[in-house]
Amino acid sequence: MKNYLFLLLVFFSIIGVSQEDFPTNGVRDKNHNSHAFINATIHVDAETIINEGYLFIKEGRITYVGLKTKLPENCVVHDAKGKHIYPSFIDLYTSYGAEEVKKSPRSNYPQYNSLKKGAYSWNQAIKPEVNGIEIFTENDKSAKEYRNIGFGTVLSHQQDGVARGTSVLTNLASNSQHENIVLEKAAAHYSFKKGSSRQAYPSSLMGCIALIKQTFLDAEWYHNSSEDKQKNLSLEAFTSTQSLPQIFDVRNKYSVLRADKIGDEFSVQYIFKGVGDEYQMISDMKATNGKFIVPLNFPKAYDVEDPYDARHVSLEEMKHWELAPSNPKFLEENQIVFALTTDGLKKKSEFLTNLRKAVKRGLSKKQALKSLTQVPAEMIGAYAELGSLTLGKQANFLITSGDVFEQGESIHQNWINGQKHEVSAMDLVDIRGVYNLNVNQNIRTLKVTGSKEKPSGKLTYDMIVDSISVKGDLVLDSLTGKPYKVIKKKSVKVTTTLNDHTIAISYQLKGGVYRLSGNVNFGSGVWDGRGQMPNGDWVKWTAIRSEKHEKKKKALAVADSITLGKFNYPMMAYGWDSLPVQKSILIKNATVWTLEEQGTLEADLLIRGGKIVHIGKIADIVDGNSIVIDGKGKHVSPGIIDEHSHIAIERGVNEGSNAVTAEVRIGDVIKPNDINIYRQLSGGVTASQLLHGSANPIGGQAALIKLRWGNSPEQMKVMNAPGFIKFALGENVKQSNWGSYNTIRFPQTRMGVEQVFYDAFINAQEYENKWSVYNELPKKKKQEVSAPRRDLQTEAILEILNAQRFVTCHSYVQSEINMLMHVADSMKFRLNTFTHILEGYKVADKMKAHGAGGSTFSDWWAYKFEVNDAIPHNASLLNQMGIVTAINSDDAEMGRRLNQEAAKGIKYGGMTEEEALKMVTLNPAILLHVDERMGSIKVGKDADLVIWSDNPLSIYAKAEQTIIDGIIYYDWERDLKMRKEIQQERLRIITKMIEEKNGGAETQKAFKKKSQVHVCGTLSDDGN
Amino acid sequence: MKNAQYIILILLGFCLSNFQGQEAPGAKQGGTVLLLNGTAHLGTGEMINRSAIVLEKGKIVKVMNALTNTINNSDYDTVIDIKDKHVYPGFIAVNSTLGLMEIGAVRATEDFKEIGTYNPNVRSIIAYNTDSKITPTIRTNGVLIAQVTPRGGVISGSSSVVNFDAWNWEDALVKEDIGIHLNWPRFMKSSGWWSTPGDTKKSKNYAERTKEISTFFDEAAAYNKALNEGERDLKLEAMGALFTGEKTLYVNVSYVKEINDVINFKRKYKLKKVVIVGGYDSWMVTDRLKENNIPVIIQHIHSLPNQPEDDIDLPYKLPKLLRDAGVSYCLQYNADMEQMGTRNLPFVAGTTIAYGLTYEEGVASITLNAAKILGVNKELGSIEEGKNATLFVSDGDALDMRTSNVFIAFIDGRMVNLDNHQSRNYNKYKTKYGLE
Repeated sequence: MKNYLFLLLVFFSIIGVSQEDFPTNGVRDKNHNSHAFINATIHVDAETIINEGYLFIKEGRITYVGLKTKLPENCVVHDAKGKHIYPSFIDLYTSYGAEEVKKSPRSNYPQYNSLKKGAYSWNQAIKPEVNGIEIFTENDKSAKEYRNIGFGTVLSHQQDGVARGTSVLTNLASNSQHENIVLEKAAAHYSFKKGSSRQAYPSSLMGCIALIKQTFLDAEWYHNSSEDKQKNLSLEAFTSTQSLPQIFDVRNKYSVLRADKIGDEFSVQYIFKGVGDEYQMISDMKATNGKFIVPLNFPKAYDVEDPYDARHVSLEEMKHWELAPSNPKFLEENQIVFALTTDGLKKKSEFLTNLRKAVKRGLSKKQALKSLTQVPAEMIGAYAELGSLTLGKQANFLITSGDVFEQGESIHQNWINGQKHEVSAMDLVDIRGVYNLNVNQNIRTLKVTGSKEKPSGKLTYDMIVDSISVKGDLVLDSLTGKPYKVIKKKSVKVTTTLNDHTIAISYQLKGGVYRLSGNVNFGSGVWDGRGQMPNGDWVKWTAIRSEKHEKKKKALAVADSITLGKFNYPMMAYGWDSLPVQKSILIKNATVWTLEEQGTLEADLLIRGGKIVHIGKIADIVDGNSIVIDGKGKHVSPGIIDEHSHIAIERGVNEGSNAVTAEVRIGDVIKPNDINIYRQLSGGVTASQLLHGSANPIGGQAALIKLRWGNSPEQMKVMNAPGFIKFALGENVKQSNWGSYNTIRFPQTRMGVEQVFYDAFINAQEYENKWSVYNELPKKKKQEVSAPRRDLQTEAILEILNAQRFVTCHSYVQSEINMLMHVADSMKFRLNTFTHILEGYKVADKMKAHGAGGSTFSDWWAYKFEVNDAIPHNASLLNQMGIVTAINSDDAEMGRRLNQEAAKGIKYGGMTEEEALKMVTLNPAILLHVDERMGSIKVGKDADLVIWSDNPLSIYAKAEQTIIDGIIYYDWERDLKMRKEIQQERLRIITKMIEEKNGGAETQKAFKKKSQVHVCGTLSDDGN
Repeated sequence: MKNAQYIILILLGFCLSNFQGQEAPGAKQGGTVLLLNGTAHLGTGEMINRSAIVLEKGKIVKVMNALTNTINNSDYDTVIDIKDKHVYPGFIAVNSTLGLMEIGAVRATEDFKEIGTYNPNVRSIIAYNTDSKITPTIRTNGVLIAQVTPRGGVISGSSSVVNFDAWNWEDALVKEDIGIHLNWPRFMKSSGWWSTPGDTKKSKNYAERTKEISTFFDEAAAYNKALNEGERDLKLEAMGALFTGEKTLYVNVSYVKEINDVINFKRKYKLKKVVIVGGYDSWMVTDRLKENNIPVIIQHIHSLPNQPEDDIDLPYKLPKLLRDAGVSYCLQYNADMEQMGTRNLPFVAGTTIAYGLTYEEGVASITLNAAKILGVNKELGSIEEGKNATLFVSDGDALDMRTSNVFIAFIDGRMVNLDNHQSRNYNKYKTKYGLE
C-alpha cells in the first residue's frame, strides 16, 4: 500500500563487460565488430512495433533501433526479413545457479536452537545475510533451458527460509559469470516456509508470520539502539536489504493478504510471488496495491474416465484446472501489475505452450510481452538496462519466426549481452513438398511433410500384385487360369537428415536399403547427389519438387470462446454464486427460545439491518425485498457459539515448538475455504472461537469468527471482540504423549508448568516497567537513550495482566487448575475461562471464588490418563455452582451437533432445557464477552439465529436455516439444490477434461489433494 | 404399583450398598418378572404401545399386548409397572474394543492390537476385561452387549460376543470366536503423517497386497481340506471355520473399488458369511451386496463426509440408503473415543431416524439387525419369546439424549446395577458443595 520510494535509492552496480584485469592466453581477442539486424518486425517494447526495422548492436549494447538507415561500418549484417525481434524475457523467480540447500541431518530429538554457526539470527529460518551472488555459480545447461524459451535474464535466489536474503540479477549468456551479472543485490526475498531449518520454531504458518514481525522489530531496535549489544549479522542484513525490492513468496491467495498485512504494519509494499490462484479473489488482490509475479503452471487435466476415481478430485481442483489459464487475463483486466515466471513448471519447455494458452484465453499479447520484459525489469529496478529494445540498453533480444505468442512459431536466436545463442536454425531450408525422386532411372513420389524443423518423408510407388478376393482366395483369370494382377499403392517411410544444404536420405524397399546423399539447391527445388543401392552399386539420383508445401492458414489467436464455469465464493463445492446480502426477515408463528426473561414463546420475529428488532405479534411486511418464513411447528434458537474450535485454520493449529508462543495469532491464518465452515452452519453454528492448540503452556492468540461462508478472512472476524489467548496445562504441555524423544523441552512436569507461567508474567511486569521508565523520560532525554526492544510475545502476556486480553486455558486435573488460579491471584488477574476443565467439578468452589468460567466437553473421558476422572455431570455441576458454563466441540465433526451435546446436560445432572441450550449459546457469549450483542434472542442483538425442525435439544432436530447478521447463510432447501448443481458442474468439467485428453493433452492421475480439513493438525494427542 | 415401588427401593438399596466398590454382577433371576404397560420397541421393527413382558429364568417367556390380553398381576413374583416408559432389547455394540482398552494414551492399558500381519488365531475374548471402569458407564445408557473385536494387521484375530454383566470373561461370553477380522488393503493411500496429512493417491502396491491375502487364503483352504496329519499351523487352522461357514469374515473396507474386490473375493473363495465393516461407499454397490448376501456394519455415522462435495449428511443417511436398497446393515461406534463413546450408540441410532429410517428401524439398527449380523439372533436382539431376558426400560425415548434415562436393565434376567463411578463422583461432590 505504500509507494515504494526505494526504487530511487537502488544503486546500480553494473559490472563492466570486459575483463581487462584478466591475463590473456595468446593474442588478445578484440573483436569490436557490430551486428546489424535488418528488415525485421521489431517489438521495441509492448507498445512500439517497427515494421521492416533495423537494429544495430555493438559491444553488447543497442546502438540503433528504428527504420531503415545506413549500416555501420564493420558490421555483420543479418537479414531478418519476415522475422520478429523481441526483448529477451526476464524471470524474477528462479534459483538458477544457486547453491543447493541441504537439510540439516534429521534427529529424533527436537532441535530448539539454531545450528548455524556465527553471529547470526537465533532462528535458522531467518537468513537475510545470504546473498545470491555469493552462492551462485553459472550452469550453462540450466541457462540453455531458459534461453530456449526466450529468457535472457533471471533473478536468482536461494529459495530457503523465511527471510531468504538477496538475489542476483544475471544474464544467461554462455560467457563468464563476470560478464553476466546485472545487479548483484537485486531484491530481498521472503516466504512463509522455514525450508531447510529443522529448528522447532516456527512450526506453523502463524509462527512464520510472528517471526517476520518480530524480526522487523528486532532489526529496528538493533539499528537504532546505541547500547552495547551483541553483534547480529542477520539483523544488520535485514535492515540493509530493506531498500531493495521486497519479494514475498506465498502459497495461496490468502497468504498474499497475510504478507500484505505485515507489509502495511512495517511500511513495506511487497511484490507477491503468487501461485496462480489470484483470480479467485481478484478484488482483494487488487486492494493490496502490490505487484505480482505469477506462474504459468496450469494444472493438467485429471484422468476422470473412471467415475469412481474421479470422485477423488474435488470440485475446487476441477474449477482451478478450468480457470487457471485465465488467471493472467483476469489480472490484466483488473489492471494488476504482474510479471510472469517459469516457476512451478515441471518442464521449462511447457512455458511457451502455457503462455500461448493464456493468450488464447484472453491475455493480450501486449500485456504478455510487458509481463515478460518491461514489468519485471521495472520491478527489479533494471529497466534502464533491460526490458526493451531501446538505445543504450543491453542487447538482449530474441529473433523469432513470427509472432512469438502464436502456436507454431519458434524462437530462432536469443541474443544476450550481444552474444548469439541459437535456439533453432533461422535460415533453415523448408524441404517440405512433393518430389519426383529419380534413383537409377526409377521414379517414385517422395512427399515430405511435418514441421519445418522435423520433416518426415514418405515414398509412394505402385506395385503389381495378385488380386485377392474378400474371402482371401486368389482371383484367377478365367482365360489364363493365372491370378489377376492389380496395381496397389505402397508407401514406405523415408528418413531425411538435413544439415544446412546437404541432405541424406534412406529408405527400405523389398530389395534392401537405399542410402542417398546430396545437396539441396534452388530453395529446395532440386536435390541431387549420389547414393548406394542395396546391391552396393553407386548411382546418381535427383529429386525435383513438383509441389510446394502449402502453409495452412492459421486461425488468429482469439479469446477462448469456450465458456468457463461460474465463479464461486469460496471457489469450491457449496460456494456461493454471489455473496448473499442482508434483507429484512420475518419469521412467523415459531417457537422462539429467547433464553432471556421472556423464556420460550410462540411468536413472530422481525430482523432488520442484521439485528433483531421485534419479538411478538408482527403484521406482515409487504416490502418486496424482505423474506417471510413460515415458522409454524419450527423452533428458533440463538445461533450456536462454539467456544473451542479448530476449523478454518491454515497450516497449523499449534505453534507447538517453544513453551511460550504468545506472539502467534490464529487471526493471521484464518482459512475461509474450509468446508467445515459450511458443514457447521448446517448444524446451526454461527460463531466459533478459533483457538490455538494445547502444545505449550502459553499458546497463541485466538480469533472469534462468525461463519460468514464465502467471505474473506478479515470479514469473518467478529469486529471489536475482546482478545483471547490459549493456555494449556497437563499432559500435552509436558509432552507426555509425544513419544520418547520429546523429553527435552521445559517443562516436563506439572511443577515446571507453574514456573513457566511465573517466569512469563514476571518478565512481562519487568518489560512494562522498562517501557514506562522510558516513556516517562522527557522528550530530549528520550533522544539520547535508545528505546527498549519491543517484544511481541511479552506484550501479549502483558495484555493479560492489564485485563486487555483474556485467557482460555486447556485444563484437566484439579491440581493444575488450582495452581493456575493461584498464579493468577498472585499476579492480580482473573482467569476468564477454563476450557475442557474436566475436573472442574472437583474445584468448582475455588473457580467460583476466583470468578472463572468453564467450557467443557459433554461426556468425553478415558482418552488419556489425566481425563480418567472426568464425569459427564461436570457441566451441570459447574452450572449449579453458578459458574458460567459452556459446552464446546474441539472437533469439526462434533461441532455440527453441539445442540445435541448441550442436551446431554439434561440427561447428566438434570439441567432444564433452557439451561442446556444456554451451554452452547448465551453462556459461551458471556465467556467471550460478546453477550451484549450475541447469544440470545433479544431486541437489539445480532440476528444470529437458527430455525430448527424440532426442539433444538432433540436428536431429531435439523437446522433448516442458519442466519448470521440477518443473512441466511445456510438453507437446507438451497443445500439440496446445490448438491445437484455440484454434480452438474463436475460433469461439465469432467466432459471437458476427457475431451482434452482425447485431444492428446497430457493428463495426471486422479487423486485427493491433501485434506483441507483440520482434523487434528496438532502435535497433541487429543485434537486440541 | 406397590411392587414397582418396592423394586425402586431395592434398586436404591442396591446402589447404596455398592457405593464404594466396583459394580457387582446381578444375582441370578429368581422368580418371574412382569414388565407391564411399557411401550415396547421389540427390535423386530414392531412395537407394542402397552405391553406385558414376562421374564423367567433369564429368558423372555411372554410378550403380550396388555390391552388385548388379560393379565393377572398375582401370577408373577414381581410386577413392575412401566407405564409411560419405553422398553428396548439391550443395545449391541458391534465391532467394539470395549474391555480391551482402558485409557487411550496409556499403552499399558491397550490390548486390542497384536503384533504381526496375519493373526487369525488371536482371540479377543482372552483380553476382555470385565472389570473395566468404562463398561458400567456404557450400560447406563442401555448398551448391554458387545462384539469384542481385535484390530490391526491384515488379519487382526477373532471376535466374541459378550454381555456386560459378568465376573470374568467366561461368564461374559454369549458366543465365542464368531468371526475373523480382515483389514482390506487401501486402494488409495495418503501421504504425510497424521499431523500434517498429504495427498491421497492410488496405492502402488494394492494389487500386490490383495494377492498376499489371496495366497494366505489359498493356503488356509488347502490346509483345512482334510485332517492334517503333519505339523499343526495355528494360523491356518484358525481360518478353517471361515470356509465351513461357522465363522464370519468381517472385512474392514471403505472405498467402492475395494468393496467390489471384497465381493469378488467372497465369490472366489465361496465364503458363506462375509460382512463389510465401514463401507462408506457401500451405497454405490448395493445391488451387488444384496445379490451376494453381504451385510454392512456401517461406519460410525457421526463422522464427516470424505469429500468436500459429498452431501453434508451423507454419513447420516447411509443407513437409509442401504435400507432403501434392501441391504442388511447395522450401526457401530468405531471412531476416536470409541470405548467410552459407546454410551452414545443409542444417539447414533437416533440420528438415523432424523435422516430417513423409521423409529423402529432405528431401534433395529442397534438390536436385531446387529444380532443377525453377529449370528446371535437366536439369543439376542429382540424382545421375543424364547430370547434372553436382556433388555432395559427407559423413562423416555432412549435414542434421544434429551429424554434418555435408563430406569432398569436386565441381562439374562439379572437386574443390572446401573450405577457407575461417574455418578458416584458426581454425588460425592454434590454432597461436598451442599447441592441438591
